Amino acid sequence: MSLFKKKATSQSSTPVTTYFAALSKAEAHSVNGAAPTATPALSLSSSITSSSEDIVLHEDDAQIDNTDGLALPPRAPNSSEVFTTVHTEFGHCSNNDFRSISRHIPGTSVPAHVDQDPPYYILFSTYISYLILICLGHVRDFLGKRFHPGSYRHLMPSNGYAPLNSDFDSFYTRRLKTRINECFSQPVTGVAGRTIQILDRISPDYNHSQIFTGTRTRALNISSYNYLGFAQAKGGCADAVEVSIKEHGISTCGSRLEGGSSDLHVLAESLVARFVGMEDALISSMGFATNSAYLPALVGKGCLVISDELNHASIRFGVRLSGANVRMFKHNDMGKLESLLREVISQGQPKAHRPWKKILLVVEGLYSMEGTLVNLPAIMELKKKYKFFLFIDEAHSVGALGPHGRGVADYFDIPPRSIDILMGTFTKSFGAAGGYIAGSKALIDRLRVRGHAGPYAEAMTPPVLTQVVASMASIMGVAPPIPTSSSASTLQAQLETQIEPYHHPARAPASALPLWMTLPPSLADGSEGLSRLRRLAFNSRYLHQGLIKLGFITYGHPASPIVPLLLFNLGKMNMFHRMMKDRATPIVVVVVAYPATSLLTSRVRFCVSAAHTKEDVDTVLRACDEIGDVLDLKHGLQGGERWGVDEVCVRALELADL
Amino acid sequence: MSSSTDGLSAFLSYSLANLESAFSQIPGSAVLVRYVKSSHQNDPGRTILELLLAAFAIFTLLQSRTRAERNGKHFIQFSDKEIEELVDEWTPEPLAAPLTAVEASDLAAVPIVVGQNGPKPTLVKQTSKIIANLASYNFTGLAGKEIIKERAIETLRKYGLGSCGPPGFYGTLDVHMALERDIADFLGAEAAIIYSQGFSTISSVIPAFCKRGDIIVADRGVNFTIQKGIQISRSTVRWYDHNDLKSLEDVLDSVEKERKKRRGPLTRRFIITEGIFEKDGAMTDLPKLIELKYRKKYRLILDESISFGTVGRTGRGLTELYNVPANKVDMLVGSMANGLCAGGGFCAGSQNVIDHQQINGPSFVFSASMPALLAVSGSEGIEILRSSPSILTKLQQNIRVARSILDELDCISIPSHPASPIIHMHIRKPAPLLLHPASAAGGHAHNKPSNPVSVLPRDASKWDWDIDAEERLLQQVVEEALKRGVMITRAKRLRGQEMVEARPSIRLAMTSDLSADEVKKAVKVVSQALKEVLRK
Repeated sequence: MSLFKKKATSQSSTPVTTYFAALSKAEAHSVNGAAPTATPALSLSSSITSSSEDIVLHEDDAQIDNTDGLALPPRAPNSSEVFTTVHTEFGHCSNNDFRSISRHIPGTSVPAHVDQDPPYYILFSTYISYLILICLGHVRDFLGKRFHPGSYRHLMPSNGYAPLNSDFDSFYTRRLKTRINECFSQPVTGVAGRTIQILDRISPDYNHSQIFTGTRTRALNISSYNYLGFAQAKGGCADAVEVSIKEHGISTCGSRLEGGSSDLHVLAESLVARFVGMEDALISSMGFATNSAYLPALVGKGCLVISDELNHASIRFGVRLSGANVRMFKHNDMGKLESLLREVISQGQPKAHRPWKKILLVVEGLYSMEGTLVNLPAIMELKKKYKFFLFIDEAHSVGALGPHGRGVADYFDIPPRSIDILMGTFTKSFGAAGGYIAGSKALIDRLRVRGHAGPYAEAMTPPVLTQVVASMASIMGVAPPIPTSSSASTLQAQLETQIEPYHHPARAPASALPLWMTLPPSLADGSEGLSRLRRLAFNSRYLHQGLIKLGFITYGHPASPIVPLLLFNLGKMNMFHRMMKDRATPIVVVVVAYPATSLLTSRVRFCVSAAHTKEDVDTVLRACDEIGDVLDLKHGLQGGERWGVDEVCVRALELADL
Repeated sequence: MSSSTDGLSAFLSYSLANLESAFSQIPGSAVLVRYVKSSHQNDPGRTILELLLAAFAIFTLLQSRTRAERNGKHFIQFSDKEIEELVDEWTPEPLAAPLTAVEASDLAAVPIVVGQNGPKPTLVKQTSKIIANLASYNFTGLAGKEIIKERAIETLRKYGLGSCGPPGFYGTLDVHMALERDIADFLGAEAAIIYSQGFSTISSVIPAFCKRGDIIVADRGVNFTIQKGIQISRSTVRWYDHNDLKSLEDVLDSVEKERKKRRGPLTRRFIITEGIFEKDGAMTDLPKLIELKYRKKYRLILDESISFGTVGRTGRGLTELYNVPANKVDMLVGSMANGLCAGGGFCAGSQNVIDHQQINGPSFVFSASMPALLAVSGSEGIEILRSSPSILTKLQQNIRVARSILDELDCISIPSHPASPIIHMHIRKPAPLLLHPASAAGGHAHNKPSNPVSVLPRDASKWDWDIDAEERLLQQVVEEALKRGVMITRAKRLRGQEMVEARPSIRLAMTSDLSADEVKKAVKVVSQALKEVLRK
């Protein structure tokens, strides 16, 4: 055990410049399109500046129970490997072969969303199972109302009050969802990193209530939106957050326009703008509210919003509040989009046929249930011709896609400033909370004044801001400080840096960080950020292609860290979830069904993280392989083209390169 | 000619035969054929009917699923060339108009705090020392509590920062459940649910319960986010005069009369109002409201975003102040961001109410849960309020000190309740109000009630204040006070987006973190600034 408790003792002796040299070498490597980058700087030379007690390699628990194979890496690190993360939070992986670059190969077409159909008997049995469940539910309701009126009281009008939730409206929830309630709202504790601790619970009454047993189980977490693995309780970002709590407290006490603005907000907003390559950005304390409170400030009566049919609920919420007209188009179907555009522009506003004031196309960069990537190159072509404004919700794609982690525009190598509005959240890739909107200075200022959140919603809190700044800066890498600005106050320095010529993707200027923030060298030079991007890209591709080779039906783009595996039958959701959780190495998965998906396409949704090691993905693949045989899930590739799970694990590199 | 027809018919009969044999290959096809034959024999009309039905089914299936306006009577058929021309001609308006000079200067004048916000913060562009912050919501001084910071850091070291998931998918932490339990216990409600932003809480709670066809009776002075919640719910809305329970009763009666006349079904009915109004600091008479809602069989959605953590002996809000059990309020909404200096909002109510929101509250279901350390800070804040009632005593004392000075001023009018921690100040117009005593009487004249369907009150047409001019004046007051070291703010409004344009006001937010003397000194500075600017 003591082997793993190795703490880096060497103080920061390596000059920062060597990191930069290594970094630029890595970059050059990636640009040349050679094999997955393996750079010496990424893992080996990392040294820890602070030898504080915070950086220990393990949980506080004295004895480590590794029966589930999660607490310790399969192989003890050798003397050249120094890991600064806790293996349960962020897995140890020093093999530089297991790295890929997330980017679009120019000239290739963007795969459209294909609904791959399973054999007819699966579809048929899915329909039948819904039918049986609905019939049974109605029978139970019918009998229940007569024999157990007590348990239906809240669904019936009583005492002059209409029921809060009628028995009809809640039928799906009560009679279908309740049956698989154990898959949802599982309470957890600790860090939502590579592993997560679930609070064990049992249901004595067929999922109507859940009782906690008081025990916990550590499980491999392939469910949280932790793409770059910044959900960490230890490490540079958490250290920065700790300092920020001491310096700034928990809250800035109020809304942005009414006494709740802090210098951290200003710094973070300028850093976000720089990260995504826009002129300016604003930050909102909740991701959902970023859409719901700012979309109404962009469009209103007389405007048209064209929205992908699978857009997130927050977009729908915001568009509904705005009062603009809405038209939807088939998910990611550029042909349908173009014909819709031709129709709406030529027809103008309904009845009056006045031209539209503005047309705003709202799409997501990466769709959270399908894993599809927006066909941005095609949209940019359409944008030139049809002059609509483009709003991309990068809630899932920012950080997770692109060779520099700058999102879907980076992935397709499209200049961000040719897009009008980039919106995203900090929940997913940055391990924080809240969201941002980036665009031109005039636009963002307008939103600051006109958006609902400005005067009324609480500002983002300092710890969250700090996590955003620290994680973002470590993806960008921090440029060496400009010597003259050291005396100037941070805000002035930040204003100065804005005059710098535009360069994207740029490093974070040292002045963009609060003065009190010192990131460890591996974060500050961007090498760890880069390694996280490469690990995520590898893991995504490997899991995706691995599942396909095993014969499963999956959706989405291979570069997407969201990998949906189709189950179809409602009953299999529960089984899949439980069989994954009850394995020797427990795995927690997210299963989703109607109404989040269509009625037929119930699915498991894996969210890969940079925190996973190749062995973790192997574990998931092996588990899927076994369960897939039991539950009859392999309906993708035909027998001859499939690979066995051992072959998949051995030929991982080949798969990730597909 | 004839040979080609022959060939065609031969081909047709050949393919028909082929089809027939292929069809007979399908298992069960014989049964189908027999069935069709016999049914045709018995009733040839039925075959036609079934054929029509099948054709209709195919037609319906082939129809576009999206609501195409192509078939509407307003659709104009264009040729491709015409469409190209129209596309070329169309020029959209710019996405966002640049700020006007006034807007830009307002935005630039927003105070930015360096480091920790609190009773005496440091500002970015401020040379003189700030002696008091009466702008930020730090009512009970929890923002600077070291114990909360310590607990937050402990939590950070155990949970990291973000929860990385919505509550349904591994985003529910044990500390979230603990906070929900703490809030429910603190208020005396059966259960509670937490949202990750205070602002988005009630705009999500309302549409979770109020659907199309339901009836909402709401106060005309409700805050912006309630307005948005009502808008998105698509329910039928009736409005009653601001903070006037007599008007509420009238509206409830008229709604009932309407329903009886129409013999409509029993629908869900809600009263939506605030405990202390964000717009002007007025306070609802809760016992009377509760009595009314029970008598008329309405459910009450009460927004305590300002009153939670600020009134009552230990800050439990209006229910504690009026000694009303919290379970009499069906949905009690509050904000941990305002009242506890943490983050997020909550809704407390019966277990059914909470369970319903866990599946139907849009911003609960579709948003990541709040960071663990904010939840723990909230719990810790509740613990502090619970164990030290002196904080609330001190807050109320400071409010009294401020009011005793401000109430003396004749250049302003204060619509806020004497116990309200936020004090709104309007510019008082001395002359016209005295000349028209009838209009000045306002709420007392009930001979002609406002129209409940319209959000605008009856006397809205008589509002004679010039919003822009008053805002400019008040902004001068704000800047004047800031020069003398007191940070205050205008109540910022989204002009043009609110249902009822609130009268411009300066809003003071009191805090228990300043001593009575400091408050006295600060409020005197404010009143000096008011006098100087308004009497010019």
